Amino acid sequence: MDWRDVTVYVNGDEYTKTIPVQMTLAEFLRDELFLTGTKIGCNEGECGACTVILDGVAVNSCLVLAVHADGKNVLTIEGVSEGELHPLQQAFLDAGAVQCGFCTPGMIMTAKALLDRDPAPSREVIRKEIEGNLCRCTGYNRIIDAVEKAALMLQKR
Amino acid sequence: MDYIVKTRPAKIDPLFPEINIDPGDVFDFPDDSVELPAIIGKSLPRKDGQEKVTGRTKFGADHNIPGQLYAAVLHSTEAHAVIRKIDTSEAKKIKGVRAVLTGEDCKVRFGHMLVDQPVLAQEKVRYWGEPVAAVAADTLHLAKLAVRKIKVDYEPLPVVETVEDALRADTLVHENWSDYQLLGGCAPVPGTNIVDEFVLVHGDVEKGFREADVVVENELFCSMIQHAPLETHAAIAIADHDNCHIISPAQSPFMIRKIIANAFGYRLDRVRVTCTDIGGAFGCKVEARLEPLCVALARRTKRPVKLVFERHEEFAAALARAGVKFRIKTGATKEGKLTAQQIYIYWDTGAYATFGPRVNYNAGFASNGPYYIPNSFVDGFCLVSNKSLGTAYRGFGITEVAFAHETQMDALANKLGIDPLEFRLKNALRNGQESVAGEVMQDVGISECLEKAAEAVGWYDGPLQWRTAEGKLRGKGIACFIKLTGTPSTTSVMLRMNEDGTVTLLSGSREMGQGVETVLPQLASSVLGIDVERIIMSPVDTAFTPYDKTTTSSRSTFHGGLAVMDAARDMVRQLKALMARHWDCPVEEITYDKGVIRCLFDPEASVDINTSFFTRYLKEEPPIIAVGRYGTKDIFSPPDPDTHQSDRPTIMWMMGAQAAEVEVDPDTGRTKIIRIGAAHDVGRAINPDNCRQQIQGAVLMGVGNALLEEMIYVNGVLVNANMVDYKIPTSMDADFETMVDLVECPHNTGPYGVKGIGEPGMAPTAPAIANAISRACGHQFKSIPVKAEHVLFRE
Repeated sequence: MDWRDVTVYVNGDEYTKTIPVQMTLAEFLRDELFLTGTKIGCNEGECGACTVILDGVAVNSCLVLAVHADGKNVLTIEGVSEGELHPLQQAFLDAGAVQCGFCTPGMIMTAKALLDRDPAPSREVIRKEIEGNLCRCTGYNRIIDAVEKAALMLQKR
Repeated sequence: MDYIVKTRPAKIDPLFPEINIDPGDVFDFPDDSVELPAIIGKSLPRKDGQEKVTGRTKFGADHNIPGQLYAAVLHSTEAHAVIRKIDTSEAKKIKGVRAVLTGEDCKVRFGHMLVDQPVLAQEKVRYWGEPVAAVAADTLHLAKLAVRKIKVDYEPLPVVETVEDALRADTLVHENWSDYQLLGGCAPVPGTNIVDEFVLVHGDVEKGFREADVVVENELFCSMIQHAPLETHAAIAIADHDNCHIISPAQSPFMIRKIIANAFGYRLDRVRVTCTDIGGAFGCKVEARLEPLCVALARRTKRPVKLVFERHEEFAAALARAGVKFRIKTGATKEGKLTAQQIYIYWDTGAYATFGPRVNYNAGFASNGPYYIPNSFVDGFCLVSNKSLGTAYRGFGITEVAFAHETQMDALANKLGIDPLEFRLKNALRNGQESVAGEVMQDVGISECLEKAAEAVGWYDGPLQWRTAEGKLRGKGIACFIKLTGTPSTTSVMLRMNEDGTVTLLSGSREMGQGVETVLPQLASSVLGIDVERIIMSPVDTAFTPYDKTTTSSRSTFHGGLAVMDAARDMVRQLKALMARHWDCPVEEITYDKGVIRCLFDPEASVDINTSFFTRYLKEEPPIIAVGRYGTKDIFSPPDPDTHQSDRPTIMWMMGAQAAEVEVDPDTGRTKIIRIGAAHDVGRAINPDNCRQQIQGAVLMGVGNALLEEMIYVNGVLVNANMVDYKIPTSMDADFETMVDLVECPHNTGPYGVKGIGEPGMAPTAPAIANAISRACGHQFKSIPVKAEHVLFRE
C-alpha cells in the first residue's frame, strides 16, 4: 500500500497526515479527523450525502481522493456556522426541511455552494442543483423552500 | 364534534397501587367543554433539528469504539445453491485478519417469528446476496481484501423466483420447516413454500356475488421494492459468552435484544442494545440485520467489531418490501352498493420469514379497504422464494392492498357509469357499521377524507380525463385505505425531574425523522404545564430505557403518548405531595394548574414549577420520578383463527384518501405528477406541521412506488442493486404540490384523540396515481410501478 503526506485545510484548520493513497476525502474527514458530519450514503457518488465544498466547489467527497485535496481548502458542515446558526441551517429548521437528518449536511453544503455563487437563484435552479442529493424523508420541496428563505436572509445582511 | 367519550375501567397494579392512576382521568379531555392545552396543536420546530443541521447527530456509522475491528461480508453470488466447499485459507493468511467465519464456524440461526435465518449460510444459500462468510480485521481495507480471497464452490439448484414457482413447490426453499424453532405468529405448512396463511371470512361471498349486478375480476401485481433509507445498516458489537452489547440504529431495540438473546443463548438482561440516531428506516431497521454477524465475530475475536453495509450490500442483503400478486373479485348492485369481495393474496416474501407473516396479517385485515362490504373472503399466502427478504415497509402491506381494492373500485365505478368518488362515498364505512372483521366501527372519518382529497385536485371542476392543447393526456384518480395498528402491544415510560426542575423523558420510541422526540415532550408538557423547552428525551438504551414493544405501526404518539400522560399525572401527584409537605397542609387542598401549584386556603402558598425559585423545594427531597404505562391487551379481542372475525382486532384504525392529477406524454410514455391532494384522519394533530411534513415526504415515497421503483430479478439475480439503476425520486420528480388536509375525527382513547400518521401518508399515493394514469390513458394498468414502457406498450 502506498502512503503519502498531505496537508489539508479543513474549516480553516491545517491538518497534516500520512494516509494511504486510495483513501477518499470522505474517509479522511470521517476517520482521520473525526468530522462525522459528512455522511456516506452510497460511497459511489449517487446520493450526495457526503457533499463538501472543495476550494469553493461542491463535490461528492466519496469520489475525491484525499491526496487530491492536498494543499486545498475544504469546508464541511462542521465549519458552516460560527456560534449562531448559518442562515441555511436556520432556514432548514424553519421550513421543516429536516426529518431523519442524514441527507441534511450534504444538502446544506450543496445549497451553500450554490448561494455563494448565485445569491438569488430561482426555484428551478435550486431544484436542479440539489438533484444529486437524495432525500428519502421530506419530499424535497421544503428543502427548496429553505434554500429560498436562506437566500433572502443572506441578501438582507 | 361528535365523538364518544369512553373511559376504561380503572386498573390498579397490585404492586404499585399508589403510583397507578385511575385511567379515567387520562381521558377527561375529549369533551367540547374542555379547552385543549395550548401546547396541543402547536407546530413546534423539531427538537432534534439543531443537532441535525450542524452535523452533530451521530448515526450508526458515526460511532467507533477503541480497539474495534472492522468487518466485511462475502455475499452469495447464487440465488439457490448447495455450498460444496468454502476455501478461506488465502484470506486467513493476510496479516491483520483476526477472524474468518463461515457457516461451519457459526451455526446460529435467528428470527422473530420463525428462527430460520442463519447468521451465515448453512450448507446452502437461499438468495443472491445472502451472507456466506464474514471477516474481522484491523482495518476495513484488510477485511475487504480478505473477503475477495475467499473461494466458494456452489452447486446451483432450481430457483424459486415467482409466487407461481413457490406455489408449485417443485422446489422447496426450506426442506423442512420443523427444523426451525417456531416462536409464534406464523404456521408454516409442511412440504410447501407457505410460511403462513391468513383467512378472513365475513358473511357469504357466494350469496353476495349472486346479489350483485356487476362483478369485476382482476389479477394485479406490485413489485418488490427497497426501503432505501439514506443511512445504510450499521452495527457495533462487544460480546463474549455471557454478555453482549450492541450499538446500532435500531428501530425496535427491545425486539432486537430478544432476537439476539434467543439466537445466541444469552439471558435477556445480559444483552444491551444502545441506540444511535437513525438515518431513515421505514421498517428496515425493525429486526436484527447486521447485529448477529457482529456478535458472532465479536465472540470469536474478543474485540469490538464494527460492520457498515455499503449501498450495494444494502440492496443485495438488507431487506425489502415483498412483491405481491392479487386475484380479486368484487361485486356491486347497479345502484353502486358493494355486495361482496373475494381476495387471494400471494406475497413473495423472499428467502426467510422475517416479518412477512405479520405483513400478511395486517394487510389481510386491510385488504377490503375502508368500505362497508357485507360479504368478504380473504385468503392470503405468505410464500418464500429465492429472493431478498420482504418485511415491514411503511404500512405492512397497506399500499399493496390499497392498489388492489382501489383498482376494483374504479373498475366497478366505470362499469356502472358512476363517478369514482361518488362510488366510494356510497360505500365508505360509517360509524356503527360492521367492518369485514366483524367489528362495529367508531370514529370513522373516511368520507370527509375522500371529499377533501378530491376537492384539493378540483375533482368537480372539470372532466376527470382530457387531452391538453399540447396533446398530453391528463387524468385524475383517487384512492383510500384503512390500516390497523399492531395489537396487543405495550409500552412504558419514565419522567425524571432533574435537580434544576427540567424533565428527562425516557421512552423507547425511536426518533427516525417522524418527530416523536418533539411530540412526546409536547404531550408531557400538556399535562405538567412545564415549558416544553424544559422537557427532553433521553437517548435510548435497553440498559435503562423502560420497555416499549417497537417503533412501528404508526403507534408511538398513540401508545407512547398515553404512557407519557400517565407518567405526567403521576408526576403531578408527586409534586402536589411535595408541596403539601412543604406547606404543611393536606394534599387534598393542593391544586395544580398549568404548572402552578397552590394551596387552596393560603394565598401566599403558590409556586410555578417553571421558575428557578421552584427548585429550592426539590433540595434533599425524595427525587420526583414518575412511571407511565399503556397496553392494549385488555382491549384486544383475539380474532378467530379460521375467520379472523373479532369485536376489536386493533386499538386504532387509520384511514385517509389521496387524489392525484397526472399528465402522461403519449410520445414518451412518461408520467408527470401535476398535483396531489392528501387528506388523512389524524384524530388530533398534536404538531400539525409535523403531520404535514410526514405526509408530504410519504407522498413522494409513494410516487417512487407508483412510477419508478422495482427490484428487478433475472434468474434470481438482482440486476439493479445500486442507486443509479434503482431510482428513488429526486428533487426533479418532486415538482408538484401536495396539498395536505388534516382531518380530525378524534379517537376515543388516543391522547387528545390522536391516531397514527407515520405510515398512512404513503398508503394511497401509488393507487391514486395508478388510477389517474389509467384514466388518462383509458387503459387499466394492472401492476405498479407504471413505467414509461408500460404506458407506451400497453395492449
